[in-house]
Amino acid sequence: MIKFKNVWKIYKLDGEIEYQALKNINLEIKEKEFVSIIGPSGSGKSTLMHLIGLLDKPTKGEILIDGKNVAKFSDDELSTLRNEFVGFVFQQFNLIPKLTVLENILLPTIYARKKLTYDPRKKALDLIKKFGLSGKEYSYPNKISGGQQQRVAILRALIMEPKLILADEPTGNLDSKTGIEIMNLLKKLNEKEGITIVVVTHEADIAAYGKRIIKIKDGEIVRN
Amino acid sequence: MNYFLFVVKAAIEDFRRNKTQTFLTSLGILIGVFAVVMLTALGLGLKQYINDQFAALGKNTIFLVPGKILSGGSFNATSALASIKFDNRDLLRLKRLKEIREISPIFSKQTTAKSEKKSEDTTIIFSSEAFFDINGFKIKKGRFFEKADIDKKAKVVVIGPKLAEKLFGSVEAALDSKVSANNINFIVIGITESKGGGGFGGPDYDNYMFSPYTTGFIFNTAKTYSRFAIKFDENYSIMDVKETIKKEFLKRYDEDSFSIIEPGDILSAVNSIFGILNMVLVAIASISLVVGGIGIMNIMFVTVSDKTKEIGVRRAIGARKKDILVQFIIESTILSILGGFLGLTLAYIGTLIVQKFFPAYIDVSSVVLALGVSSAIGIIFGVFPAKRAADLEPVEAIRYE
Ligand SMILES: Nc1ncnc2c1ncn2[C@@H]1O[C@H](COP(=O)(O)OP(=O)(O)OP(=O)(O)O)[C@@H](O)[C@H]1O
Ligand SMILES: [Mg+2]
Repeated sequence: MIKFKNVWKIYKLDGEIEYQALKNINLEIKEKEFVSIIGPSGSGKSTLMHLIGLLDKPTKGEILIDGKNVAKFSDDELSTLRNEFVGFVFQQFNLIPKLTVLENILLPTIYARKKLTYDPRKKALDLIKKFGLSGKEYSYPNKISGGQQQRVAILRALIMEPKLILADEPTGNLDSKTGIEIMNLLKKLNEKEGITIVVVTHEADIAAYGKRIIKIKDGEIVRN
Repeated sequence: MNYFLFVVKAAIEDFRRNKTQTFLTSLGILIGVFAVVMLTALGLGLKQYINDQFAALGKNTIFLVPGKILSGGSFNATSALASIKFDNRDLLRLKRLKEIREISPIFSKQTTAKSEKKSEDTTIIFSSEAFFDINGFKIKKGRFFEKADIDKKAKVVVIGPKLAEKLFGSVEAALDSKVSANNINFIVIGITESKGGGGFGGPDYDNYMFSPYTTGFIFNTAKTYSRFAIKFDENYSIMDVKETIKKEFLKRYDEDSFSIIEPGDILSAVNSIFGILNMVLVAIASISLVVGGIGIMNIMFVTVSDKTKEIGVRRAIGARKKDILVQFIIESTILSILGGFLGLTLAYIGTLIVQKFFPAYIDVSSVVLALGVSSAIGIIFGVFPAKRAADLEPVEAIRYE
């Protein structure tokens, strides 16, 4: 589904100094996989995830999505791909504070270019019920717990029925019990719905949920 | 549609949470719209007021004045001063014309009128008895002077109600009292009803005195007139009457020495003067709208930087550049329209207050204009901040803390 070929990400720091955040990454993520990316802070995990999620472009090398080179896509096409193909889950949840739970979950659908085959509102309400958020539909994010916020973020990632969910330290801001709940939830989505999951973490026990673990250090894959 | 609802709802929720900042941001537009609408309302009121004043003059009325005072519908003040004066030959000439029904020669004198107790600066208009009818005066107490008073050179005056009150305390007390001007004693034979006027609307007749022109020759030994007020026979068109009079006067004067004006001419001249004045004021007030727009732009730049993370999230879940652009333009437009709406409301209240003293009104076009202009300002000044928001790199925005 996603293939990295000799991908480099090099940041130009002030002046002539270059910083190689990712060095010659070769990687393939197949459909229905559950992949963990583990590494210490500053190793380039988020950088890698932003590239997988089409938020960023490589300095060198190619990223192929279903065989197509990402570099060839326009900004609008990339936006559409992010909208339909990927769902993001972040460490800080990143919900929009002035939108209710229901509205946050619906947000990706207002940017949808394709005609949805379902009623988004009905689907959102179904998801809310299924994932134990009933009664919180019209609450604002600051009025619910961290674990609930992260579940809302996951539902926001799910509403467009994406093939891929990218989670950057999804448990980083949660206590361990809630973190386990969230990880089990992602595991279930992978097993029951066949959604490809990529989780970025620096904790080994979180990474252990993955069926495949990619270890990254100083911008290089040290174990795959 | 759903999309706009979402954006508008989010913006309004934002504003609701930052009421003070929102209000201060739209304050510039508020003041600008208030000033523009209020000035327009005063301009419209003034126009109405002037129209009402001239409506009292009635139809079939024209004036004949020395000099060329009107050119191309606008007022030409310089040539109004340097001019000939009319005399009795002109009066006789006009009286012979079959088109003319009534005519009054007119000249006036600035003076100080004295009653037994008080004295007041005033203007005496010396005219024939026809003056009152031509100018639509009504009598409140006593009578106007008549043909017989003219013939007798009677030392009588009709006075305006305000002057009557100032000199004698009341209209009742004024009647049959004595008033002197330049040491000549006059008897007050009548008091007119209030005609309004003064200020912007023309002569302040309520503070004037009126006396037979023949009596006035005491002060005007040359027996000259500064104008004629004429009422013509309604069976003739105003064009014909003007043409006849012009032909008659060209026998004696050249074309630039006299003007025939109809109330409509004066009306359009006065209107054009105040129209221009009002436009200048409105233009100056419009500058504050631009200043208001710049204020909004400023705050929008701050908002964009405050919302960098949100922009990143929206881009991550599929918002295109233009979605972000539209979002921020809508936001600034709502801010601006909010200011416009508040300004309009304030101007409406202001108009209600002003109406107690002066005609002023807000018409549909100023409402449409105010809201139209404020949305235009919101869009124009929102574009730059919105463009900056849209052009943020998604990764940079999402990494922003
Ligand atoms: N825009 C940038 N300009 C320069 N350097 C950058 C930029 N973005 C990231 N970096 C650097 O790239 C390196 C990798 O960053 P990245 O965020 O991918 O690390 P990470 O593995 O996710 O770390 P963490 O666990 O702390 O989130 C870091 O050293 C970071 O300072
Ligand atoms: Mg990171």
